[in-house]
Amino acid sequence: MDTLILVIIGLVAGPVIGGLVAGLDRRVTAWFQSRQGPPIMQSFYDVAKLLGKEKMVVNQWQILCAWVYLIAAAVSVGLFFAQGDLLVIFFVQAVGAVFLVMGAMSAKSPFSQVGAQRELMQILAYEPVLILVFVGIYLVTGSFSISAVWELEQPLLAKMPLLYLALGYALTIKLRKSPFDFSTSHHGHQELVKGVLTEYSGPYLALVEIAHWYETVLILGLCALFWSTNVFWMAALLLGTYALEILVDNTMARMTWRWMLKRVWLLGMGMSVVNLIWLYAG
Amino acid sequence: MSNLLFLLILLPAVAAAVCYFVRSSAVRTLTVLATGAILTAASLALLGQETQPLTVGSVLGIPSDFLIAVLDFALLGVIFMYGVKHKSLLIQGFTLAQAALLAWFELIMVKSAEVPAFAVDQISLIMVLVVSIIGSLICIFAIPYMKEHEEHLHLKKSRQPQFFFFMLLFLGAMNGLVLSNNILWLYFFFEVTTLCSFMLIGHDRTEIAIKNSVRALWMNSLGGLSFVIGMMLVYSKVGTLDISAILAGGPQGALMVTGVGFLCLAGFTKAAQVPFQSWLLGAMVAPTPVSALLHSSTMVKAGVYVVLRFAPAYSGTLLSDGVAVCGAFTFLACAALCIGQSNGKKILAYSTVSNLGLIICCAGLNTPLAITAAVLLILFHAISKSLLFLCVGTIEQAIGSRDIEDMRGLYAKFPRTATITIIGILTMLLPPFGVLMGKWMALEAGAANIYVIIMLAMGSALTMVYWARWGGLLMASREAGAAREKQAALISLPLMTLCLGAVVLSLASPWIYNSMLAPMFNAPPFALSFGSLNAATGSFAVVPLFLALGLGALYAVKAASGFRKVKIVAPYLSGSNAGEEGTYIGPMNGPVPFSAGNMYLGELFAEGKLTPVFNALAVALIVLMLGGAL
Repeated sequence: MDTLILVIIGLVAGPVIGGLVAGLDRRVTAWFQSRQGPPIMQSFYDVAKLLGKEKMVVNQWQILCAWVYLIAAAVSVGLFFAQGDLLVIFFVQAVGAVFLVMGAMSAKSPFSQVGAQRELMQILAYEPVLILVFVGIYLVTGSFSISAVWELEQPLLAKMPLLYLALGYALTIKLRKSPFDFSTSHHGHQELVKGVLTEYSGPYLALVEIAHWYETVLILGLCALFWSTNVFWMAALLLGTYALEILVDNTMARMTWRWMLKRVWLLGMGMSVVNLIWLYAG
Repeated sequence: MSNLLFLLILLPAVAAAVCYFVRSSAVRTLTVLATGAILTAASLALLGQETQPLTVGSVLGIPSDFLIAVLDFALLGVIFMYGVKHKSLLIQGFTLAQAALLAWFELIMVKSAEVPAFAVDQISLIMVLVVSIIGSLICIFAIPYMKEHEEHLHLKKSRQPQFFFFMLLFLGAMNGLVLSNNILWLYFFFEVTTLCSFMLIGHDRTEIAIKNSVRALWMNSLGGLSFVIGMMLVYSKVGTLDISAILAGGPQGALMVTGVGFLCLAGFTKAAQVPFQSWLLGAMVAPTPVSALLHSSTMVKAGVYVVLRFAPAYSGTLLSDGVAVCGAFTFLACAALCIGQSNGKKILAYSTVSNLGLIICCAGLNTPLAITAAVLLILFHAISKSLLFLCVGTIEQAIGSRDIEDMRGLYAKFPRTATITIIGILTMLLPPFGVLMGKWMALEAGAANIYVIIMLAMGSALTMVYWARWGGLLMASREAGAAREKQAALISLPLMTLCLGAVVLSLASPWIYNSMLAPMFNAPPFALSFGSLNAATGSFAVVPLFLALGLGALYAVKAASGFRKVKIVAPYLSGSNAGEEGTYIGPMNGPVPFSAGNMYLGELFAEGKLTPVFNALAVALIVLMLGGAL
């Protein structure tokens, strides 16, 4: 019963928190750029407006894929709140990621096609790192279940500092922030217009946006696990991490996928492996 | 029980003979259909039987063990003849060596003692189901497929009798292989599958088909030789041919474990592990039902089965770690090679080898969790992969190409085939389906070994890429009122059955685990509650996930089905769209066509560059593995 209540809390709170984070993100970014920026609630206004627009699609696959993306993202957050298995949560999240890509590929538009291919490269980059992070958690707690993390007496961060850095790498890619935003360039009139999102519009773009909020919450939740013993430090860790994300986002130019793959597979995997060796030895 | 076993093994052989000698196509169709139905029924009936070892006394007054020995040498003779015919010294050498060692083994080493020829346990039960049901469906699919296939070839005399002879014989041999308890019988059936696959790969008799079949034959003869050596080493220590006795004894010293190592090597060749992957890739020149049969339910599963069967005999040894690392390496290497491919059949082939590597890795990890993962992967991979092969075969006959770039937008013309293919791809790749569940278990079991888990993590990501882009490019717009797609009943039946099977059996997986897998272990890895598999290390909520994602997907399908009421627009092209799809109005007011393709990452994952490197690494790992047994 408790689990069910937690899941419902997660499903409701997910988009709210995710939307607020998106709003804050824009405010802080504006502050970096000496602008005033939109109100914090702006992301909600945007989505509400999108939901009210006329439905326009290239074909039915986009409708299907947008919905499945949202549902999978929500289910993965629900599983997270139900203290489920980290790998299962990750794979359910991957359902959404795959459908987003497939929906983009269903439209015969060069922009969304290229965006879809690049999104796959992003998945290729972050997936192994995330799996190794979960393996690290398993080695520390003896279980892939999140419930085991709460029983720790020492924060995970103490045992997995390098894996946390690697996770940060993976998260920047997952959140599609610069320098890894090449599958959905933030700004119009760039080499890729809107990449994987080009052909999603109106209410369906709103679904994709809400799904993205869920994903943001899932990612922040993963980070939160690294300081599970103290709520204040957990909050500090999250704030610090996200602030760093925003800083990186604003100071970096977009790179190429080749740069990303090589960087992440060498540096991200390298850090993960070194940290795992400590854990196996310890 | 004995009658069922004979039915499962001998009926396909008899039916094969009927197909060969009666040249009427109606009789052939009926024979194949009836055999499929009876095999399915018999394999299901076997589920409800008491399982005890079965001794085969004599057949027509000849002691059955002697009969098998004679057939062994006859078989080696036939293979040697083909070696001579195709001037392959490798085949001749391996076969002669096998015959010499086998003669020494049977005449001098083995003290004749009655050993139960057959035994049924959980693993062989599941294998029998896979072989009998999926194998039969593939044979049924082959009936209309081969008719059309031969129409393209303009043969004077149909070669279908020979084709179905070997297809059906194959099923019998596989059932025999997985049910054997006498290691010499196992070896006999192992060799029969080698011969059948050689004949089927070379069926079309084109230059390339013959070349590839010869390569398959020499690689598998090497496997056969390795099997004989392994058998002799094991026997010299344990002194029995009884597999269940060998397994019950566990690892017994360096000599015996080395013997088991050679048996595993034989399994590697048959399962086309790197560096032996080239024979399976070559096998795709054969008609599609052959590829489906070789890849999903029979040939390669025989190799995996041997490695898995002998897992208790090397548990806790360095050999076991070696097997796990070799398997994980194949999983990663073939997933990487697969990224660079655009040939649909080649993608399936690499993905098969990759998955077999994962299964072998699980056998090497050798914990109850890993063995469970291996068996579930065998089952679900067989269903999804055979489905995908049959889909590619259907698509190939429809569009005349097996290149996935040519399948772009397949939904527009062949909505039914495209949808089934997409579902097949999703069942290979995503939760809550069985293959992913097996992969999940493999990852959790592999987390204990740093080498294994790193390779599994990287391989898993690569797998995601090559499936997702294939699934995506099949989707496309379809004009309102376009003509419906027609599918022959015998094409449709196997496709729909396999498609449904992949989904429904995934949903039933907790109960499959509980009734068929859990009894294998003293300490089963999972407890079942509310349709989820729970363990201290993690849990997979199969039924809740099916409910959440399934209902969600149904809602999404319903939302999508009303799309004709929504405004349909052309995609954005940075300019005004021209009338036809795929062009826009460019400079000089003329239409400019464009096209988009997948990224195959040629500079990173080029097959030609990577294969020699992977082969060398794999040889090193295999040497390491065999050395680990000492």
